[in-house]
Amino acid sequence: MQSASSTGTQRSAKAQKFHRLLSLPTVDLAALRELLWSGAPEEDPKVRAQSWQMLLGYLPPVQDRQPSGLQKKREEYEELRRRHYLPVEAEAPSGDVDGAILRQIRLDIPRTSPGLPIFGHQRIQQLLERILFIWSLRHPASGYVQGINDLATPFVVVLLASELDCLPEEINVDAASDDTLDAVEAGAYWCLTKFLSDIQDHYTSGQPGIQQMVAKLREIVHRIDQKLYDHLEEQGLDFLQLSFRWMNCLLLREFPFPCVIRLWDTYIAEPLEGFSSFHVYVCAVFLIYWSPQLKQMDYQQLMLFMQKLPTGKWRNQEIETLLAEAFVLKSLFHSSPNHLNPR
Amino acid sequence: MAAVHEDDYDYLYKVVLVGDATVGKTHLLSRYIKGSLPKNPTATIGVEFATRTVPLAVGGTVKAQIWDTAGQERYRAITSAHYRRAVGALLVYDITREGTFKSCTKWMEELRQSAEPDIVIMLVGNKVDLVEKDPSLRQVYFDAAHEFAKLHGLIFEEASAVTSHNVKYIFEHLLQEIYDQTSKRREQQSIDNSNMVGGIQVAAIGPKNDSCDNSC
Repeated sequence: MQSASSTGTQRSAKAQKFHRLLSLPTVDLAALRELLWSGAPEEDPKVRAQSWQMLLGYLPPVQDRQPSGLQKKREEYEELRRRHYLPVEAEAPSGDVDGAILRQIRLDIPRTSPGLPIFGHQRIQQLLERILFIWSLRHPASGYVQGINDLATPFVVVLLASELDCLPEEINVDAASDDTLDAVEAGAYWCLTKFLSDIQDHYTSGQPGIQQMVAKLREIVHRIDQKLYDHLEEQGLDFLQLSFRWMNCLLLREFPFPCVIRLWDTYIAEPLEGFSSFHVYVCAVFLIYWSPQLKQMDYQQLMLFMQKLPTGKWRNQEIETLLAEAFVLKSLFHSSPNHLNPR
Repeated sequence: MAAVHEDDYDYLYKVVLVGDATVGKTHLLSRYIKGSLPKNPTATIGVEFATRTVPLAVGGTVKAQIWDTAGQERYRAITSAHYRRAVGALLVYDITREGTFKSCTKWMEELRQSAEPDIVIMLVGNKVDLVEKDPSLRQVYFDAAHEFAKLHGLIFEEASAVTSHNVKYIFEHLLQEIYDQTSKRREQQSIDNSNMVGGIQVAAIGPKNDSCDNSC
């Protein structure tokens, strides 16, 4: 694999395709979706960041408009920061609802780390605090829900790696200027906002979005792996128990962080109706992947195994197999929708 | 004393860990089960599960199925479903944050609604270590919590997951109390019902067999 510094001299075929597309005066978003679906080139952090930002509506696809478009979004974010964050920045959280949100965010930030040391850095922690707090105030129907802190991390990492032109694991926060971090913060805020807009009902009262996804997962597994389904039923294992975190944190806690980034390439590239329906198929394939082992386990073994799946050594290759299988599964069910009729 | 085998037990008790977010539920559980604090602590999402088989001081061996729940309000709809059939609870607050103690009333009501009606609740004031370092951090006085516990029929103790202070005690005292209360009830009931413990059928497990005589 090439290092970030050697990009430009000898690009991989994959990177070349991206560059060709992204250098056009107007980027064909449908073509970009298709490319990104199969994963961004790992050796070229700028390509991934550009693709994510463009498909999430942050970076304009028309090149001429990019500088002014980004400028406008950054100013908008600056304004949000002034209005919402500045008044509370230096103070202890107040006793009202906003204060409670800020207090919880501050408690969660030090324990937000997808295995990367940069999240222990004070500058990154402050950046994350602002993103989460402002997002929560702007989305009062859900407010801050634990787990959203996790979901912000891929955007911070991908954008920061791009700004510093290095691989995610090589990020040196001290090397970043204030302006660089401000750009990352605004970008991560808008990307997170767009990304979550498809799944806001995951985090509203009663978490209806998650309940629906769990019901759908259950139905899919019932259809395609009846033996596993029956075994889980027999053991009294509830699908909500086994998949709640998968839905709530979009599998972010189940894989090594680089795999999550790769997974999200595809999620962000999913068609406009949103990635959340595809996510359920990924979860189904992921669950069935373990089927041979699961069918040998009793309730307690199942619970312990499922909450700490042996994915520590997973690479992109395993993720891509899951994605390919999920794609087939989705096509299958979409061509005969009655398969998924909840009744 | 002989080692207790994980699957050699007389009773199965389901216990839940509840309380506001970030009071230290997962830390207490990790300290009790693994003897150490979590390596990469993260907020608990939904519920997590652990078990431990414990020889009681009186009454035999108990397998505790412990459910660690997410404390944040938003997760209540999901987590309260897991209270069902729980015979014991550790209700945890943070002695340096009064709000977490005030919430205990709400938690207690929820437990009594959704779990077994005669659930045994152990009220735990966590983070004693912080107060030992700096007494001015204390926001909930021992006596106030003790009074609250007495009023509502809870057992009470302060603890610290960080120093291990009282950690083993709070879990095992709760298990002993569950045993004592259920065996008292059992004595009042007919022999026929003796294999029902807090609503969980443990017929297949039953009273310990003869091999117990050697190890007890």
